[in-house]
Amino acid sequence: MIAFLFWPLLACLILTGMHTYLGIHVIRRGVIFVDLALAQLAALGSTIALLFGYDLHDPATYFFSLGMTFVGAGFFAVSRQRHEVIPQEAIIGVTYAVSAAAALIALDQAPGGAEHIRSLLVGNILTVSSAEVIKTALLYLGVGLAHYLYRKPMIALSFDFEGAVSLAYRVRAWDFFFYVTFGLVVTSSVALGGVLLVFSYLIVPALLSLLFSEKILHRMAIGWGIGLLASLLGLYGSVLWDAPTGASIVCAFGFIFFLTIITQWLRKAALN
Amino acid sequence: MNLTRLLLIAIFLLQPFLQPFFVEAKTIRIVTTTEDLAAIARDIGGERVSVDFIAKGVQDPHFIDAKPSYLLKLSRADLFVEIGLGLESGWVPTLLSGSRNGRIQPGSPGYVRAADGIALLEIPVGRVDRSAGDVHAEGNPHYWLDPANGKAIALSITEGLLRIDPEGKATYHQNLQRFTERLDAALLRWEAAMKALEGEKVVTYHNSWPYFLKRFGIKAVDYVEPKPGIPPASAHLKQLIERISAEGVKIIVAEPYFDQKVPNFLAEQSGARLVVLPPSVSTGAGIEDYFQLFDHLIELLTTAFKESGVQ
Repeated sequence: MIAFLFWPLLACLILTGMHTYLGIHVIRRGVIFVDLALAQLAALGSTIALLFGYDLHDPATYFFSLGMTFVGAGFFAVSRQRHEVIPQEAIIGVTYAVSAAAALIALDQAPGGAEHIRSLLVGNILTVSSAEVIKTALLYLGVGLAHYLYRKPMIALSFDFEGAVSLAYRVRAWDFFFYVTFGLVVTSSVALGGVLLVFSYLIVPALLSLLFSEKILHRMAIGWGIGLLASLLGLYGSVLWDAPTGASIVCAFGFIFFLTIITQWLRKAALN
Repeated sequence: MNLTRLLLIAIFLLQPFLQPFFVEAKTIRIVTTTEDLAAIARDIGGERVSVDFIAKGVQDPHFIDAKPSYLLKLSRADLFVEIGLGLESGWVPTLLSGSRNGRIQPGSPGYVRAADGIALLEIPVGRVDRSAGDVHAEGNPHYWLDPANGKAIALSITEGLLRIDPEGKATYHQNLQRFTERLDAALLRWEAAMKALEGEKVVTYHNSWPYFLKRFGIKAVDYVEPKPGIPPASAHLKQLIERISAEGVKIIVAEPYFDQKVPNFLAEQSGARLVVLPPSVSTGAGIEDYFQLFDHLIELLTTAFKESGVQ
């Protein structure tokens, strides 16, 4: 049994590494559902490729889905205002709903791709192939490196927007860079593990780390610990009860999340 | 905490991982995708084999989500049997490669595609593309629903068993012969029971019954799904209601795993009767083997037609 879990576990570790970091950005920027919106845009891209008669495994289809993700990235970069009237999270929500609906209409015109589009959004972490895991790892390494090289503007933009503007960073360009790399990551993560799993890896570790520290490096270390714990717990539960693996990991995240929050409440109550 | 206690706890926690090492006595382990194949494999393998399956009879075999136990079953299997023709294409390839069991990969002696040797229906002519819905490019995969095809399936499984367990030759041949004779006798009985329904017309939900209907001379005039795998829209339903009364269709057939709302609505609007027919052996639902499946199907169908006035 352990042999089966090697690649899924490795995939989980890769997801933990990348998404804890991105999650800290996303939570700080207040765009928590941006991953769902970008994943759905990518799925819409593949559906449009179907309409044009390309097969789902055609490289052209991949570029359609990447293209849609870039359009979304550009739009989110532009939609961020200094003195916002419309919250960006609302724009992201609308983008999600509309791209999901548009994909439904496109599917109705070019039917039959339903189960493939479904697998694009659901994924299956249990049966990931070694090739998928390696490909994803390389991509994340590249994105991680790029973010490390440009860490100053990246961090300024998420954590000190006014400062970034006054330092004369090209805010729109860097925002676009952020969302493009984010879209690249999310599109392949979703294919690996599905929307729910990716959302959990993105939000839960980064959110819980907030309870313990303010410093980015500390938060990343804590988040990685939480991600690792949830992955192990989820995989173990999945084997123990023979439950679908992705859902088990999401529930493990939920278990850790609520346990930590309730413990915090009780501690606060005890202090008062 | 002392060491023994720690060790006991460790063993308890690792117990699910250790299970594969406690292997039972040497039997040939067969894993099939569906319960129909499992039922036939049990009849052919007899005492020499243990049979397990992945999709329960009550599940739609097009959509199965991978679970750890499936990988475990496949990793230990000596023989793997699938329907083929794209029915299980959404989940079998990833499960097979995930099992890392070289004995049962396509092309290996332990791999059986039960579709071999069957006269397939609805092999598409010309170019197949997505615009026609989820059409299976090699032909309609629901061939196990013609009881006569059970013989070809049994033969494929026998050949697979002979490849990996030649010592069981006498047993397998004997079991195959007994299965075939039993099926031939049952066919006569079933055909007699269905005689009165020859030439009748039905509407089915998914296009999964062509083999069954052809065997008993019944015609499917239309489908609730406008294209395979696509849920119906209102214009199609309106057309269907008109068609049902115009052609004198008395029965609408649906599988238990589809939403019954639409077929129920159709039945109410058109006056035809809805019959929910299980398309597979289902040990959980009391249909224990391949013979009981057809006994059950024919009982349900003849009763429904009788209630609609066909004698």
